[in-house]
Amino acid sequence: MSSAHRLARVASAAVMTIVAIMALARATALPLAYHPSPAARLRLSFSARPERIEVCRTLSAEELAQRPEHMRQRVECDGKFASYRLRIDVDGRPAGESVVRGAGLRHDRPLYVLREYDIPPGRHAVHVTFERREQTDDDAEAFAPAVAVGADTGIFAGRAQREAAEHARRAEAAIPKRLQFDTTLVFAPRRVTLLTFDAERRALRLFGAL
Amino acid sequence: MRILERPARRALAALDALATSAYGWAWNPLHQTGTVAVAMLLALLATGLYLVLVYRLGAPAASVARIAADPWLGAWIRSLHRYASDLFVVAAALHAFRLFAQRRSWGPRTLAWISGCGLFLIGLACAWTGYVMAWDTFGERLAREGARLFDVLPIFSEPLSRIFAGDRPVPGAFFFVNLFVHIVLPLAMGIGLWLHVSRLARPTLLPPKRLIWAIVGALTVAAIAFPAALGPAADSFTLAERTPVDLVAAWWLPLSERLPAGVAWSAALAALIAALLVPRVTRRPREGSWAPSHVDPRLCTGCNQCPQDCPWDAITMVPRDDDRPSLVALVDPARCVSCGICAGSCAPMGVGPAGLTGRDQLTALRSCALTALGAAVDSPIVAVCCAQAPVTHVAALRARGALVHQVPCVGNLHSSVVELLVRQGAPGVIVCGCPPRDCVGREGPKWLAERFFNEREAELQPRVERDRVRIATMAGGDLRGTLAAYDDFARHVAALRRPEREANVELQAECAPPALAEDAS
Repeated sequence: MSSAHRLARVASAAVMTIVAIMALARATALPLAYHPSPAARLRLSFSARPERIEVCRTLSAEELAQRPEHMRQRVECDGKFASYRLRIDVDGRPAGESVVRGAGLRHDRPLYVLREYDIPPGRHAVHVTFERREQTDDDAEAFAPAVAVGADTGIFAGRAQREAAEHARRAEAAIPKRLQFDTTLVFAPRRVTLLTFDAERRALRLFGAL
Repeated sequence: MRILERPARRALAALDALATSAYGWAWNPLHQTGTVAVAMLLALLATGLYLVLVYRLGAPAASVARIAADPWLGAWIRSLHRYASDLFVVAAALHAFRLFAQRRSWGPRTLAWISGCGLFLIGLACAWTGYVMAWDTFGERLAREGARLFDVLPIFSEPLSRIFAGDRPVPGAFFFVNLFVHIVLPLAMGIGLWLHVSRLARPTLLPPKRLIWAIVGALTVAAIAFPAALGPAADSFTLAERTPVDLVAAWWLPLSERLPAGVAWSAALAALIAALLVPRVTRRPREGSWAPSHVDPRLCTGCNQCPQDCPWDAITMVPRDDDRPSLVALVDPARCVSCGICAGSCAPMGVGPAGLTGRDQLTALRSCALTALGAAVDSPIVAVCCAQAPVTHVAALRARGALVHQVPCVGNLHSSVVELLVRQGAPGVIVCGCPPRDCVGREGPKWLAERFFNEREAELQPRVERDRVRIATMAGGDLRGTLAAYDDFARHVAALRRPEREANVELQAECAPPALAEDAS
């Protein structure tokens, strides 16, 4: 190979390498549109335990005696987990409506909400309702102290009260039957306003609002 | 899919020619895409080791920003890490394309093809997790898209997308799992790589050292000159108008984002199935030129050469079922790719695919090239060319006056063919093979040189003047090199005395092992 040919090859190799490197560098950091619209976004995101809707009855002493010892529960309940209707209105116009159920095949797992709505920048009235669809009330009366405090003795002493307390705790942990959020917000371009459920305050709470 | 092979082959030839014209065949990176991909894996491991030491799970974006701001070490190592991952993806894709175009994706190569698809996917997943680690706007974009895709699958009870909702900080567990996957996947690639080359004898895992250093050097220069982009830190409450996107390692992202998650999964699944079906739809009937090698046990002397030369470990030596004391070669058709390398390795010409054994080669030579050689008043130089050689190069040699004799691969050229040509009066024989790293038989040029000049069995006999034999490389895009090699050889041969033509050369008889009593009877 002549020296001129060798030089030409080195030059062509250098040019091709530089072009390849520049193409690689360019292709690895190509600015591509992600949210081209200047719209703001309202994001609803929370998880909570769905309410358990139950029909309960207090077992008599005879019925209890027929059960194995480890299954002697004073109050027996049968029921299902509640479903909820989520509705969002912006400036009086419906922006979205959906039904929310607990996760899992039997909907007995916590429910998860993640909805996003693009909203034009500016001031808007936002109205969010989250309410239970089922009208049936739970059978709280079954947990009323129908049985005398001293009715259960021995290892079963205080059973009815413990069951009632546990029932109350579960009801407390569930999301309320109805949540409502009604306010006017200023939405900045390409900013996210987050509406979430505050379990301590048992209410919807806003993040990131101007 | 087979109708795509021809245009793919044309496109590959054009690409190869372009790269060869720029780099020369010895440095052509396109001939070494598989090994370049492995070299990039090693570069990723080396640079990743440093990055993982300075990466902080508790503050991913800040730690990567600090790495990127360190001009002495962090910035270029991070950029080199990224560019190496991109080059891995490019090299792996080109490697698959090359094998598809060269019809090397089916039969015994099926395992390599399927494991290669797996390695490619793992590489993409690894790049995905790597970008998420940086937790800039692009990392967040990838993470959100991944969460969107996985949320339609019945895997997680809580939607993954809620991780990035903003009602709580992105949990450290997310970055931990991401980092874990990013580190574990390369280990899986190690296993996949072992599977990938498990059917090869003497697998070549790395390019020549000088090519490795040239590529790493070029990428390092790129890393310094064009530091890898790092977008603003991810923020759950800000919608980025645009983000830097790596269209090499995350080429699927713009497509996926435009599709509903279910459709995106379906498209990905369809593409994967299509890729996995390539060996099935491109396979050929194992007959004709695709028939596996066979052994003629009467000719096999049990020399153990063909198992050593077979690039696919398809031949073993087994006890004979006759009274001879030696072993006999046995070809496993499930591993044989019909490359014919064994035909060139067998001195008594007893092994090879149908029509390609040494005896078949001599017969073909007699019926064609030798006739032309005998008819010529002034015997021309004979150019034995690989069938894969570019047509333009072969035509150019003909135009130079060479008598061209084509063989399927120079690796299965039996040395007796060259000997017969020289003894029949050819003033010189130039064997033009493919570039060593681009041989469809993997090791053809290597064994050819060993047999001709280093006395590897079945060696070119000492009675053949070595001055009259030369090996050259014929690569698309390097016609000048091919012609220069030919012209140089022609000048060399012209200075030699006129060759003598021997009468009644019967090499088959010379090569046949002594007949046993039962054969004679």
